Amino acid sequence: MHSKRDPIVEALCRILPGDRVISGCERVAPFECDALPVYRERPRAVALVRSEAEVVAVARLCREWQVPLVSRGAGTGLSAGARPDAGGILLVTSPMDRILSIDPDAMTARVQPGVVNLQISRAAAAQNLFYAPDPSSQIACSIGGNVAENAGGVHCLKYGVTVQNVTGLRLVTIDGEVLTAGGDCPAQPGYDLLALVHGSEGGLGIVTEVTVRLTPQPSRTRMLMADFPTVRAAADAVSAIVRAGVIPAALEMMDALAIEATEKFCHPGYALDAAAILLIDLDGQPQEVAADMAVVEPVLARSGATRVQRAADAAQRELWWKGRKSAFPAVGRLSPDYYCIDGTVPRHRIGDVLEAIDRFAARYQLRVANVFHAGDGNLHPIIMFNGREVDAVDRVEHLAADILEYCIEVGGTITGEHGVGLEKIDQMAVQFSDAEIAQFLAVKDALDPDRLLNPGKLIPTLAHCQEYRMLRKSDG
Amino acid sequence: MAERDCSLQLQEEVERVLRAAAAGGAAGGLAIAGGASRTGFNLPLGGHRLDVGEHRGVIDYQPDELMLRVRSGTPLAELQALLAAEGQRFAADIPQPGAASTIGGAVASGWDGPARAFGQSLRDSLIGCRMLNGRGEIVNFGGQVMKNVAGYDLSRLQVGALGTLGVLLDVSLRLLPRPECSLTRSFLVPAADLPQWWQKTRSLRPLISGACHRNGRLYLRLSGRRAAVRPLLDSLGGEDSDFDWSALRDLRHDFFSAEQLAAVYLPRGAPPAQYSGDVMVDWEGARTWVAGGDHPALQRRAGEAGGFVRVLRGRPTQVADSGRGWQRRIRRAFDPQGIFNPHLAETCFTGGEV
Repeated sequence: MHSKRDPIVEALCRILPGDRVISGCERVAPFECDALPVYRERPRAVALVRSEAEVVAVARLCREWQVPLVSRGAGTGLSAGARPDAGGILLVTSPMDRILSIDPDAMTARVQPGVVNLQISRAAAAQNLFYAPDPSSQIACSIGGNVAENAGGVHCLKYGVTVQNVTGLRLVTIDGEVLTAGGDCPAQPGYDLLALVHGSEGGLGIVTEVTVRLTPQPSRTRMLMADFPTVRAAADAVSAIVRAGVIPAALEMMDALAIEATEKFCHPGYALDAAAILLIDLDGQPQEVAADMAVVEPVLARSGATRVQRAADAAQRELWWKGRKSAFPAVGRLSPDYYCIDGTVPRHRIGDVLEAIDRFAARYQLRVANVFHAGDGNLHPIIMFNGREVDAVDRVEHLAADILEYCIEVGGTITGEHGVGLEKIDQMAVQFSDAEIAQFLAVKDALDPDRLLNPGKLIPTLAHCQEYRMLRKSDG
Repeated sequence: MAERDCSLQLQEEVERVLRAAAAGGAAGGLAIAGGASRTGFNLPLGGHRLDVGEHRGVIDYQPDELMLRVRSGTPLAELQALLAAEGQRFAADIPQPGAASTIGGAVASGWDGPARAFGQSLRDSLIGCRMLNGRGEIVNFGGQVMKNVAGYDLSRLQVGALGTLGVLLDVSLRLLPRPECSLTRSFLVPAADLPQWWQKTRSLRPLISGACHRNGRLYLRLSGRRAAVRPLLDSLGGEDSDFDWSALRDLRHDFFSAEQLAAVYLPRGAPPAQYSGDVMVDWEGARTWVAGGDHPALQRRAGEAGGFVRVLRGRPTQVADSGRGWQRRIRRAFDPQGIFNPHLAETCFTGGEV
C-alpha cells in the first residue's frame, strides 16, 4: 500500500497504525488543497493523528529529518493556509474530535482540535450556553483551524473573534515540546502565548487542545432588515448605529448583485429594487433589546432607509439569515467561477471602498458582488469570472491586489478573518515594511528555528517582499 | 491636551545605547518610564531611565469608529475625560493607580480592573501598536480595525510584557458606548456562601460588571440600559450601595496600602481558599486580593489549584520560564541585546530558567 522505499513514510508507519498513514500520489489527492482549490500540492505523506502523543512523535520526526510539517483540520480555510508541502508531511487533526469536558460553572469547554465549531454550541445548549464565533463554515470547520486562523463570523461584532473566546490551549512545538498557554484563570502571568498562537496559521506549533469560553444564550434576539436606495446611505447607517450607542450582535450588508443572486437561489424575501440592505441582530435581555430597537429604527430612517422591517418570528429571522449565509453558493450560480477576499477597513470608509471597488472592477471588465460584516468593516467582495476566458485569472488577481492595496491605503488590513496563507503572501509586502517582516520572522524563528512549520505561508521572506514590490512598481 | 511626538528622540536614545553595547561598553539597559505610578507595586525603575511621559497626545479619535489611537505617554485621566464627553469609554476596565498614570504604562503592565471577569479585558481591547524594538527600529503591528489577521498578533503580545519587548510609542484601543447607568447593590453574605452566589451571578450576564466581597458584604454592580438594570436589581433585593469601584480598580482603596500585598488568581469555580491576612474577593472569586499574607504559602497553594500569585508589595515571587525557555527566545526576537527593562525581564518572564 505504501511506497516502502520512502524512509519518511516508513518512519511514520512506526509511529502510527498503517491505516492512518496515507502515501502515494492517488491516495493523497483528497488532501491536496483546502477550500481555495486554485492552490494545490500533493504531500509526501498524510498523517491522521488521534492523540497529542502522536502529534509530538510526528513533530519530532519532521525535526529529525528536516522535512516540512503542514497541519490542518477540516480544510475549510479560504487562503490556502493548509495547502500541503510537496516534500513534507500533512498532519490532519480532524480525528482528534472529542469534547473532553464542559464546565457550566466556569462557562468553558475543553475540546480536542478536530471538534467541529457548531458541535460545541450543540453540546453546551443543554446548559443554556453557546460558543460565539460563527464562521460561515461552522457546520464543518474545526476549532483547531479556527484558532490557527483566528476565525471570525457574523456575530463577532458584539462577541469577539476566536482569540477573545479561547481561554487556554496546548501547543506542540516542532521540537515535540508541549507548551500550555492560558488556562482556566481569567488572567495569566508571562508573555501572552495564547494571543500569539491565534492566527499563526500553524507556523509556530500544532494546537492539540483548546479551552473555549462559553457565552450564556441571550434571552431575546430581534432582527431588523433595512432597504437603502444607495450603497453609500447603507454604509453611513452602519456608522450611525454605532455612534448612537448600540452594538448589534450582527450587522451585515448586501449589495444589489448579492441580493439578486440570493433571491434567485433561496427566496429569502429581500427587496430586489434596493441598492443595499442591512441585516441587524439585536440580542440580550428583553428590556435591553427593546431599548436598542427604539434607538436603531429611527437611526435607520434618518439615514435614508426606504423600508425597515422587523422579523415577525423565528422562522422569518432564519430565512433572512439563510439568504445571507447562502450568498456564496448563490453568486456561484450566476457566474461560472468566483473569488472572494476579505480586506477590512475603518467603518467610515466602507462607502469609499465600495465605490472604489466598482471603479477597479470596471477597469478589468469584471463584476463584483458585495456581502459582508459591515459592523466590523470586514468586506467580502466576491469577484465573478469565467476561468475559461484566456486572461480571466490574471485580471482577477490584479483586481484583488488593487482592492487589497486600497484597503491598506485607507487604514485597513488585507485580511480580517480568512488569513494570509499563500493567497495574500504578496500583499504582506505592501502592508508591512522590511523591519516589520523581519520582526515576524524573528518571532517565528524563536519557536520554529528551522522554519519547518507551514513554510512559505503567512510571513513572506524579505527577498520575496522586495521582488513583489518591484513587480507592482513596474506594473504601474 | 498637550501634544508632542518624541518618537525620533526616543529612537535616538535607544540607538545610542545599542551603539554603546556594540562598542563593548556595558549595555546597562533602559528602564522605560511613563508616569511611574506603578513603582510602588513591585515594578521598580532600574538602570538608565527612558522617559516616555513627554510623548503624548491623541493621534486619531473618531467616535463612530469606536477606536482611539494615542501616544503612549498620554495620561489616562485625560483620555477618560475625552471619551466621557462623547458618551464613550474604553472597552477595557483600565486601572489608573496615580494621577500621572499613562496609557502606555497601562498596556505594558497589563493590569485589569474588576470588569475583566465580565468581558472587559485590556488584552482584548488592544488592536494595534507602534513600537521601538531592540534593533532601534520603529515597527507597526495590528492596526485601527477590530478584525485583522495579517501577520502574527504582536500587538496583543505587548499587553503585560512590562516593556521587556520594546518601547510602546502609540497604541490603538477599542472603545464602547458608555452604559446608560451603573448601579450597585450590597448583600450580607458570609464568605462560605460565595460559591452559591457565583452560580447565581452567572444569570446576571451580560449586565453584571462587578462582583466583589469584602468584610462580610457582597457588592454587585450592574451596567446597561436603565430599563433593563432596574427590574433586575429589584428582583435581586439587597441594599443600594455607593461602593467605590474605581478605588478598587485603581488600587487606591485603603486596603491596597498594606505592606504585604498580593493578588491570588484561581480558575473559575475553584473551591474558595482560606487565607491568613485581610482579603478582598474580586472577579467572582477568580481573583482575591490578600493583604499581610504569607506569599510563598499563597504561591504554593495557588499553584496546586491551577492558579498563580502576583505580589504587588513585599518580596516578589520569581516566575519560572515554563518549557525550554520559549519566553527567553521570544524576548531575544524583539530585543537581542536585552536592553529593555532587563530587571523586570529576569523577575517576571525569564527567571528560574536552567
